[in-house]
Amino acid sequence: MADKLDVQQGTLALMILRTLDVLGPLHGYGIARRIEETSRNRLTLNYGTLYPALLKLEQEGAIKAEWRQSENNRRAKFYTLTAAGRKQLARELREWQQTADLIASFLAPKREA
Amino acid sequence: MRQLRAALARIAGAFRTPDADDDMRAEMEAHLEMDVAENVRRGMPPDEARRRALLAAGGLTQAVETVRDQRGLPWVEGLIADVRYALRSLRHAPAFTTVVVITLALGIGANTAIFSVVRGVLLKPLPHREGDRLVYLRQSADGRGEQNLNFSVPEVRDLRSAVPAFGGIAEYSPWTMIYQSREGAARVNVGLVTGNYFDVMGLSPVLGRVTKPSDDGPGAPAVAVLTYDYWMNRFAGDSSIVGKQITLDKKSVTVIGVLQPAPFFPNRVDVLANMVNSDHHLSAQMVENRVHRMTEVVARLAPGATLEQARLQTAAQYARLQGQYKEVYAAASHYRIAVIPFHEALGERARLTLLLLMGAAGFVLVIAVANVANLTLMRGVRREHELVVRAALGAGVARLRRLLLAENLTLTLMGAVLGVGIAIGGVRLLISFAARYSSRASEIQLDTAVLGFTLALSVVVALVLSFLGALPREGRLASWIAAGARRVSGSVHKHRLQRALVTTQIAASVVLLAAAGLLIRTMIQLSEVSTGLRTEEVLTMNVTLLSPAELLFNPMADVAAKARYERMRRDVAALPGVIEAGIGSPLPLHSSQVAFPVKVEGKALAVGEAIPQAELRTASPEFFRAAGIPVLAGRAFESTDGPTSAKVVIVNRTFADRFFPHEDPVGKHIAWTGEILKFTPVTGDWRTIVGVVGNTQDGGLDAEPRLAVYQPFSQFLALGGGLVIRADSNVDALTAAATRIVRRVAPTAPIEQVMTIAQIKDQSVAPRRLNAALLSSFGILAVIIAAVGIAGVLAFSVSARTNEIGIRMSLGADRGRVQRMILKEGGVLLAVGLVIGVAGAFFASGVMRGLLFGVAPHDPATFVAVAILMLAIGLAACWIPALRAARIDPAITMRST
Repeated sequence: MADKLDVQQGTLALMILRTLDVLGPLHGYGIARRIEETSRNRLTLNYGTLYPALLKLEQEGAIKAEWRQSENNRRAKFYTLTAAGRKQLARELREWQQTADLIASFLAPKREA
Repeated sequence: MRQLRAALARIAGAFRTPDADDDMRAEMEAHLEMDVAENVRRGMPPDEARRRALLAAGGLTQAVETVRDQRGLPWVEGLIADVRYALRSLRHAPAFTTVVVITLALGIGANTAIFSVVRGVLLKPLPHREGDRLVYLRQSADGRGEQNLNFSVPEVRDLRSAVPAFGGIAEYSPWTMIYQSREGAARVNVGLVTGNYFDVMGLSPVLGRVTKPSDDGPGAPAVAVLTYDYWMNRFAGDSSIVGKQITLDKKSVTVIGVLQPAPFFPNRVDVLANMVNSDHHLSAQMVENRVHRMTEVVARLAPGATLEQARLQTAAQYARLQGQYKEVYAAASHYRIAVIPFHEALGERARLTLLLLMGAAGFVLVIAVANVANLTLMRGVRREHELVVRAALGAGVARLRRLLLAENLTLTLMGAVLGVGIAIGGVRLLISFAARYSSRASEIQLDTAVLGFTLALSVVVALVLSFLGALPREGRLASWIAAGARRVSGSVHKHRLQRALVTTQIAASVVLLAAAGLLIRTMIQLSEVSTGLRTEEVLTMNVTLLSPAELLFNPMADVAAKARYERMRRDVAALPGVIEAGIGSPLPLHSSQVAFPVKVEGKALAVGEAIPQAELRTASPEFFRAAGIPVLAGRAFESTDGPTSAKVVIVNRTFADRFFPHEDPVGKHIAWTGEILKFTPVTGDWRTIVGVVGNTQDGGLDAEPRLAVYQPFSQFLALGGGLVIRADSNVDALTAAATRIVRRVAPTAPIEQVMTIAQIKDQSVAPRRLNAALLSSFGILAVIIAAVGIAGVLAFSVSARTNEIGIRMSLGADRGRVQRMILKEGGVLLAVGLVIGVAGAFFASGVMRGLLFGVAPHDPATFVAVAILMLAIGLAACWIPALRAARIDPAITMRST
């Protein structure tokens, strides 16, 4: 458990958008599982973290939600990426990349030394 | 964009239906079920599967709450909930709520109304372009008692060439003209202006154009710009007026535009016209005579120049002029020039009165808030139990404070709404009040700035109320809870606070009462001043047959006009009930614009003494009798004092006292004198004094009478003329008949100032009466609130001390003693408040010295009367709770403990 991480709001939004981009419409449970698996279970998402993030994205118009039947015939709320969401994802990916590059170049010299 | 969309969604979310929560719960439960199913699929027993799933979920209810916060605006919702709660709890205390809301409404309403006036008249930026760069130039000569001499054209010319700090200097000469239309004639206030006037003033037309420098000079066509108010009132805002001809002084003038609404100084003006409209303004007298001062001067600071630079440069040039023209600027007259920001000049007459009223309104608010604070504190004591329970259940200090704030905000905002309602009514009255002091009165309105002020005031009051009382603090919570349902306070702090508040109320009331008392005495003193006329059964009306321009350039018109005046007089005198009718100008109790330097035969001026100026007035033989002005020595004019007979004058008492203190003035000779005569129809011949008449209060009841010299109406140009009609009784009833006669003789002449002496007198007292009335109503309001305050605090003290009083009584204190004890408690508060109040009033009344007449600012009689009044009302207020204390039955009290 020691290597479990807390997710920050900003990065969580990016993960959600990316998940929906890759897998298409998905319910909250599916999103959570996918993120946990992708992080090789280093991240756990309790509801109090996941659902406010989903609602925020919905309020911003990046995703939209509707009730549907799930694959095993349960009713679940499915989230779909909107056109605005796609744009936001592209932008955030770019920004994330830049930040990552920046941090990497900061850390690089020390590793060389 | 994204933020905006999210914000909108959240605002919408704040008004969500409960469905949204159910929806979220359903979604989470679906999530949970899927998780459980997955765990089962992995081989866990169902119980374990559910336990693990719940663990991962991390608390469903908390999650729903977190989502709810994200969905809406939690603090707004919290506030709404608090306000809703506050409304509910206030509904359960209707008496408390009503008293508090009304008290606050009075305080807030008074401040809103007065502030709207202060803002409209003093604070609002001028409508002129860069109005803060405008200055007004004032020339005064204290030695001659002249506060505002205006300027002559040569003086303006000299200033214009020597003050680079002015980007432009414009001339504005107030003038009256007769506006002739099909419906009749009316006198209009005209501003004759130079072509650069509008550019300097930074004023634009709303229709057509304004004058330009090309409209200057004798060759330009006569044009006029209407002021906005005049256009609206006289022409009903008719936009086809531009390009039309109107008739001013019987000459045709083209209206070229309508000006934007703007305040004028010193007086309201109807029409602004170029100089060519007045022959006089093109004459050598106007253009060449250095002492012919009839021009107001406004200037605009040059870009980058400061007021200080303008003042220095102006002063330097003025000093040069004084050196160059020593005979014009006699040292004894103390000529001075001042450069005043235009907005200050506009507000100067109103400032003192308005600051006084604002201060008074402020005091009323302080008293009102103190009262409400007391009520809230008392209520707070009763609520301590509730607050302690809340604290024990986990509400932090901040949370409790917020609850109180919500409650107080609800109260003050209700008070503010009601207060604005009161202010709306008040502002209408105040506009007519302010119009006496400022031409900006029309700008007074309850605009957003004023309402913002009201809102800010309400919030501040709510904050003050919320932070006055103590709350159960975390550290002391235990002791609060330990005290439990029993009263926690009795708290010395709270008690002291209440007493301080009551003392403040009393002190503030005393200050207000003293100010009101001084103004009331001023008003009484003023209305007791004798007008100088023996009777009030006198009707006056001013009839202008000729404009100044017609008179100055047409001697024949003068003869004809005099004949018409005499016909009017004769016909009016023949009316039933009329005792006497006279002709003269100006009418009694109206000040004269016409004053000239005067000399007395055989009396040289002392070295350095300023040449005295006397008003020139005219009177027919019947004038003094008709007006009831007593002839103190010699005789009145007679019909033999005709245009060609010996030149005679009558002087007023001030004149006689000044020049002939120990001798008989009758038979002595005086003459008009000075450079200025060259340019006027007045001649410097010696004239014989044939009589002395009593002084009349022509400059207002509060003004010192000036030197006045009467010439026979027949021996001077009919520059003006008015009828003075004396009746045996009920002179009012004559108005219609007299007006009809004047109309018959002069169908188109403007008839003005149709007033009885009583009305003129009343008008002179009116502004003071309004001041007194306003301040008195504030004072009465304050005293009532303060009386309620002191009674309330004592009543509360009695109910808090019921036990103690019961014990005292059972130990042998009789009713009288108990009553005295409570009275003493109130008496101490009263005494302290009185002392502080009188000291405060002593200070405050010094500030209002300029508004008083006939009463010293520290008038002992007023102060004593106010103190006694306050004491009487205060003691009466203490009586009720004291009586109640005395009625306490010790047996019942002790048992219920």
